[in-house]
Amino acid sequence: MKPSRAKLFKGLNLTAFSLVMVFLYIPILILIVYSFNDSRIISGWQGFTLKYYAQLFSNPTIGEAFRNTMLIAGLSTLISTSLGIMAALGLENKRFKARGGLLALIYTPLVIPDILMGVSLALLFNFTRVNTGMVTVLIAHVTFCISYTVIVIQSRLEGFDYSLVEAAADLGARPHYIFWRIKFPLMLPGIIAAALLAFTLSIDDFIITFFTSGRGFDTLPIYVEGTIRRGTITTINALSTLMIGFTLFLVVITKRIRKILISAL
Amino acid sequence: MPQSREALQEKRKNLSSWLLSLPTMIWLACFFLVPYLIVVFYSFLTPDIYDVKFEVSLEAYRQIFTDGYLQPFFLSFKLAIYTVLICLLLGFPVAYYMARASEKLKNTLLILIIIPFWTNLIIRIFSWRIFLSYSGVLNEALIGLGMISQPLEIMRTNLAVILVMVYVYLPYMILPLYSVLEKLDFTLLNAAMDLGANEVKAFFRVTLPLAVEGIFAGTLLVFIPALGAYLIPQLVGNQRSLYVGQVITYKVKNIPRNWPMASALSLTLLLMVAILLLIMYAIYRRHLARRHY
Amino acid sequence: MEDIILQNISKDFGAFRAVNEVNLTIKSGELFSFLGPSGCGKTTLLRMIAGFETPSEGSIYLGNQDISDLPPYKREVNTIFQNYSLFPHMNLFDNVAFGLKIKKRPKAEIKDRVQEMLKLVKMEDQAAKHPDQISGGQKQRIAIARALINNPRVLLLDEPLAALDLKLRQHMLIELMDIHDAVGITFIYVTHDQGEAMSISDRLAVMNQGRVVQEGPPDDIYERPSSIFSAYFIGETNLITGDVHKVYDDYLELHCPDGTGKILVLDSSFHKPVAEQSRITLSLRPEKIAISRHKPRHQDDINMLKGQIEDILYLGSHTQYIVRVGKLKFRVFSQHKRVYFDDKALDWEDDVWLFWHDTDTWLIEDNPFEVLADAELDDSGNLKRYVKRSKI
Repeated sequence: MKPSRAKLFKGLNLTAFSLVMVFLYIPILILIVYSFNDSRIISGWQGFTLKYYAQLFSNPTIGEAFRNTMLIAGLSTLISTSLGIMAALGLENKRFKARGGLLALIYTPLVIPDILMGVSLALLFNFTRVNTGMVTVLIAHVTFCISYTVIVIQSRLEGFDYSLVEAAADLGARPHYIFWRIKFPLMLPGIIAAALLAFTLSIDDFIITFFTSGRGFDTLPIYVEGTIRRGTITTINALSTLMIGFTLFLVVITKRIRKILISAL
Repeated sequence: MPQSREALQEKRKNLSSWLLSLPTMIWLACFFLVPYLIVVFYSFLTPDIYDVKFEVSLEAYRQIFTDGYLQPFFLSFKLAIYTVLICLLLGFPVAYYMARASEKLKNTLLILIIIPFWTNLIIRIFSWRIFLSYSGVLNEALIGLGMISQPLEIMRTNLAVILVMVYVYLPYMILPLYSVLEKLDFTLLNAAMDLGANEVKAFFRVTLPLAVEGIFAGTLLVFIPALGAYLIPQLVGNQRSLYVGQVITYKVKNIPRNWPMASALSLTLLLMVAILLLIMYAIYRRHLARRHY
Repeated sequence: MEDIILQNISKDFGAFRAVNEVNLTIKSGELFSFLGPSGCGKTTLLRMIAGFETPSEGSIYLGNQDISDLPPYKREVNTIFQNYSLFPHMNLFDNVAFGLKIKKRPKAEIKDRVQEMLKLVKMEDQAAKHPDQISGGQKQRIAIARALINNPRVLLLDEPLAALDLKLRQHMLIELMDIHDAVGITFIYVTHDQGEAMSISDRLAVMNQGRVVQEGPPDDIYERPSSIFSAYFIGETNLITGDVHKVYDDYLELHCPDGTGKILVLDSSFHKPVAEQSRITLSLRPEKIAISRHKPRHQDDINMLKGQIEDILYLGSHTQYIVRVGKLKFRVFSQHKRVYFDDKALDWEDDVWLFWHDTDTWLIEDNPFEVLADAELDDSGNLKRYVKRSKI
């Protein structure tokens, strides 16, 4: 009686997992298949085509949106990761007087819906009469990435073995040497994880960009949303497929990077 | 002067902490805190077509409570609750299965859960439009199988919103659940069963109480973005009953603009989230207190 | 020649005093141990010598140089950490070479010295491995090589064997002694394991609650404990507390309240005279007591007690008897080479006689630092057991 019930339990969990997998992947698969479907509207299968991919690469607007996305993602990753490294190092000192305040400042944005950050920044730029565009989008992206980079780097630092620093000092290394030869190399996996997270968050963001970008500065998500709204969706499938490919590529790369780092450690 | 020797060291450490965290502090103060002060300020002003007039007015707040603006809040709240519950029901067995898988399998399963999570949000929502729409994959398939004769109208309904929200936010529920369940000592379950509890009892008496932290974290991670969602209801929802996120966005993006209204609505949403967090915190504290008996 | 002099060292962490007015002199080339329970301040003391903590009061001298204020990287002192703290992102060669690379020595010299050190710790063929690829004992060796390559004047070892299993620990202990002999520098060894400290040290300091309770060679501390704490912490012992009833020519009559009644104790072993009516505590090690069913004839009731066996623990190399005498319990270790007077092994509830040589009892002096609350006394004022207290 008992073992069969345990098996039933396990079977149930496996079924749930499989269903969720189907649920998570079916839409993505459909998207990929439809990017090769020769039809201007959403409909059944009309035949294989690559013309949307061709259209994609000949469309200058998409090219510009892609460049903007990468520029913003790269810069906001660089800035938010640098700020994150510094803040995480500052938070290391448990007796730092402003520690509680800083932590509150870092964690609060995470429990507030994104749209509110978008609205509040839009208001800030309206109030200060700043022209919205690349700079305002960059500011916004850094703002929502900081919390994540600090937390990721800091959580890796929590497990840091401080006796390694002491050991290095004991062997004659001065603070600078210790930082660059011992501490930084050991922080690196956390820093890379933080940077990748910031990068993904940045290229993924729609709502905050929507509130802070001016006319004439579109990122890919903004362009896609606009296209869907206007109903001209033919190239979107192809674009989406490429973006999914890019994501998979990133996943593989991260795994590689992680592997290289682990083997180097 | 041995005391001052330590005090000096302490001071130096404190100073370097200040220097290291100051850039982040300033950044978040300027671009996170100050904007909210401006939101509060703007909510008491008078709207203009493109901008605001600097005349104090309580009009926005009056409208929220009288002109049917509460409806979107109720709708958002309701659908967010549904989303959380469905995510929990679906996510728990999945997380449980993952946590009990072999070490090697675990990583693969984790990656499988995370990949969609890393795929662009708009694209994932868009894929559901292809799937659900009038002449979409689902309807074509069901008609082809002869299960229905007329296409189902799922697109642009609340059902579609819930479906896509569950789809988008499910990993946020699974991951924290997985991380607590993974640490859970499954020999406890054997112990409970050894003491006479059956699987169901063991689950409710042992597994569930120990997974409470994951449930709390997952609930917050799903509920907060679901409550403030804009894109999902915008792309797949019924446009006659709006979501809070849509109303706020329209007030900012559509002409005539209404900054004060957008501000007041934002603050109301913020207040809702704050109350929710306080309630969750209180429940959590009570849970902890009970545990320490 | 003195290598390390600790002068009036105290260390406060907030309101907690971890180290309290410690004065010690450690000679050059000595293997000196700090021994005590966790929280006794031994590690803090070591960290102050290494430079990771600065003393709140007092000074530390290395030779005749005051190093109290020097940062760790300026001290000619190296440390073996409890978890070895090998740098995980460097291979073993680079780990060992670390100190020399900082000093920017020529490459050839570094290579030679690293090889030499790896040879010393018998790891010469593993230089390319990473720390996560070697065992605990091997990490230990690398840690030693990494420290010794800098030619320190003093090597500090912080519970270096704590993370190893028993067999390996015994092996490494001998190896550490060999290395000490080979390099000839001062070793300061911190441990909570009395067996380790006893077997490895030239001298040791027993610490409790931030203070040095007793200092001296191992046998000295074992045979002549100065306090209840050191008597209990090092080895096992029986404590007899009683009032001196009468002092005779060569023995005294001790009355143990409500316990064994009258005991006659030879006082030839006492290192100071005791007064009548004073209360004293004697330590009597379990292995010094002879146990027999028959009353020894030659001893005129001096240094003997009659009791009943309450418990027998067979421990392989010896047997431990718990013998009840009045309200007191005596622990007796008996080797198995004993000869029974009537060819019958001792059994539970047997009436037995305990007796010992007249120099085997040791008078424990009052120790001003001893906190009575730490010792649990029974109704009659006898010490039941010592409670090891760890703060922090």
